[in-house]
Amino acid sequence: MKSNKSNIVKRKERKEVFTTSSGIPVKRVYTPEDIADLQYDRDLGSPGEEPYVRGIYPTMYRGRLWTIRQFSGLNSAEDTNKRYKYMYQQGITGFSIAFDNATLAGLDPDDEGAEFEIGTGGVNVFSMKDMEEMFDGLPIEKVSTAVIPIMWSTCQTTGMYFAMAEKRGIDLKKLDGTTEGDPLSTASCITNPTASVPFRHAFRLCVDLAEWSAINVPKWHAISFTSYNYREAGVNAYQEIAGLMAAAIAVIEEELHRDRGLGVDDFVPQFTFHLSSHSDFFEEIAKMRAARRMWCKIMTERYNAKDPHSKMLRFHIQTAGSSLTYQQPLNNAIRVAYQILAASLSGAQSMHACSYDEALCIPTEESALLSIRTQQIAQHEINVTNVADPLGGSYFVESLTNEVEKKAWEYLEEIDKHGGFVEAVESGWFRAEVEKAEMKREDEVRSGERDVVGVNCFKMTEEPYKVSFFRRDPQLVEKQRAKLQKLKEERDDREVEKALEELRQVTESGENVMPAVMKALKVYTTIGEISKVWKSIFGPIVPSGLAITM
Amino acid sequence: MERKIRVLTAKLGFDMHNRGMSVVNRALRDGGTEVVYIGNQFPEGIAETALQEDVDVIGISSLNSASSLELMERVMGIIKKKHLEDKLVIFGGIVLPDDVPKLKEMGVNEYFPPGSNVDSIVSYIKENVPQ
Repeated sequence: MKSNKSNIVKRKERKEVFTTSSGIPVKRVYTPEDIADLQYDRDLGSPGEEPYVRGIYPTMYRGRLWTIRQFSGLNSAEDTNKRYKYMYQQGITGFSIAFDNATLAGLDPDDEGAEFEIGTGGVNVFSMKDMEEMFDGLPIEKVSTAVIPIMWSTCQTTGMYFAMAEKRGIDLKKLDGTTEGDPLSTASCITNPTASVPFRHAFRLCVDLAEWSAINVPKWHAISFTSYNYREAGVNAYQEIAGLMAAAIAVIEEELHRDRGLGVDDFVPQFTFHLSSHSDFFEEIAKMRAARRMWCKIMTERYNAKDPHSKMLRFHIQTAGSSLTYQQPLNNAIRVAYQILAASLSGAQSMHACSYDEALCIPTEESALLSIRTQQIAQHEINVTNVADPLGGSYFVESLTNEVEKKAWEYLEEIDKHGGFVEAVESGWFRAEVEKAEMKREDEVRSGERDVVGVNCFKMTEEPYKVSFFRRDPQLVEKQRAKLQKLKEERDDREVEKALEELRQVTESGENVMPAVMKALKVYTTIGEISKVWKSIFGPIVPSGLAITM
Repeated sequence: MERKIRVLTAKLGFDMHNRGMSVVNRALRDGGTEVVYIGNQFPEGIAETALQEDVDVIGISSLNSASSLELMERVMGIIKKKHLEDKLVIFGGIVLPDDVPKLKEMGVNEYFPPGSNVDSIVSYIKENVPQ
C-alpha cells in the first residue's frame, strides 16, 4: 500500500547531532551511496581472506566457537584452584590468571608493602609451587591458559607456568597459551606504582620472553598486545586500535633491530591481541573489523610479511570494566551481555565477560557463573554463531568501519610523529592523551550529554538489588607468609643462590634472560628474589610520588 | 588575600585505577582549592605529607575493596597518633556497601562512591573545611 505522504508527521529529532562514543557523526540513515567506493575483494574479502575485515577464518564460529576465557584469581592458589575447577565444570574453555598487586609488583609476601596488596584484585603467587597448586587436576594440555602479568612480572609468572607444565610432563613444544606481556600496555596509561624496574629494561625483559618462547614454546603467544588497559583508562575506540598497532610495531622494530636472525614471519604469527568491547555497540563492531584490516595492511605493506598468520589479527575481548557502575550493580549484567553480543558479531576468538559485581569486588562464584552463562546463551541460543560476519555489507557498519579506520590511521600517524609508541609512552605524551580523553568523557557525563543509567539518570536513593559481595580471606597475609617460610625450609638454598648468580650474569651481559629464569624457578626461587636481582642491576625507579602542587 | 584551601590527595597503596583521582584533582583545582597530589602512597606516607604540607583536607582514593577498609583504618590510626584530627578526611572509591558505616565510625568525614558528581565533592569540602 502506498503511504499517504501528507499523513506522515515529521518529527524533530531528539538531538542536533548524533555521534558515536568517540565523536564520529552518524546520519539518520545509510544508503548504498555511503559505500559506493567499496570494492569487495580489495576492501573486505570473504572471511578467511585478506584483508580479513570479515574474520580470519572461512568458517568462523561454524567451525569453532570463541573461547570462553574468564580472567580469574582470588586469595591463594588453593582457593583459585577451586574456582577454576568450578568454572571448568560450568563450561569455560580457557583459563586466565588474575594476579594480585603484590605478584604484579614482583614482591614476596614478606617484602615491604606487600601485606596490604596480597589478594587485591587477584591471586597471590610467588613461586612455581603456587602454579602447581593452582592448576592441580586441571587439563592444561587441552585447555589453554592466559597469563596476565604487568611487564616487570612477565618473565617470572610465565616462566612459573612453563616450569609447572614441564614438571607435569607436558612437552613445551605442545603447550598452548598466552602471556599478556605487552610491555607498553599499562606503562602507557598510568604511573604504575607496581613498577619495579625502569620501563626500558622491563621492555627488554618482555621481548626476551617473546624471543625465547618463539623457539622453545612455539605454540605460546608470548605477547598479547593489550589496548584494553588504555581504553579503560580513557581513550576512545579509534585511539585504542591506533595504540594497538603502534605497540605491535614497536615490538617488531625492537626484535628486527636486535638482528638475531628472526624475520617477521618467524615471530609475528604468535602475536595475539586483547581489545575492549565497550558500550557503543556499532562503533565497537566497526572498531574490531577496522583493526583487522589495518593489521593486514601494516604487515603486508610495511613489513612485507608472507605468512598469512602474520597478517591475521587474532584477538581476545574483555567487556569494559569501566562501563560498570557501583550503583544498581545488576544492571551491569545487561551491559556485559550487549558487549558480548557486539564482540560475537565482530568475530573475536576469545572472550571474558565481566561480572555484575566487578565495579565493587572480585567476582563471587554466583556472579562468575552468570558471566559464563551470558556467553553460553550467546553461543547456543540466539544463533549469532551461524553466519560469519553477519553485519558485513550493512551500509552503516561498512561506512562506520571505514570512518573508524580512517581516524585510527590519522592517530597512528600522530603517535609516529611523537617518535613511535615507546617514545610516546616514555615522554608522557600518550598518557596525557589518555587523560585528555578521560576528562572529555567525564565532562560529558557531568553535563548530561552522555547518559549512564543509575549514575546521572534513572537514579535511585536506595539500592534496589540485594547482592552479596566477595571478601578477601582475612587470614590470607599470614597464610601466604607461612607458605613462603615453609618453601624456604624445603628447597635447596645453594641451588637458588647459584641460579640467581647466573641470572645476574646473563642480565648484565644483555643475553636473553629466560634460560636463567627457568632454571631459577625450577628450584623454587621466588618472584621477589628474581625481582631483587633485576632491581639491583637496573637501578631504582625515579619516584613518581613526589608532591606536586597544582 | 584569602588563603586557598589546601587539599592533599593520594591513591592508596598500589591501586592502579587512576581515572577517578585525575578527575577529582581537576575539579578541586578548578574549584579554587590548592591540590597537593602525591600519587600512590601507603598510610604512613599520606599522614607524613599531610603534616609537612600543612593541608586542610586529606582526600584518599582506592578502588581496591579488598584492602581499602584496612588501609583506611591504618590511615586514621596514624592521623590520631599525629594529632591531625583537625583535618577533614574524605574517601573516594570502593568500600563494600555494608562497610560504609565503618568508614564513618573510624573518623572519615565523608565517603564518595564511584559515579559521584565531582562538584558535590568540591562543595562538600568548601562547606565543611575547618575554619
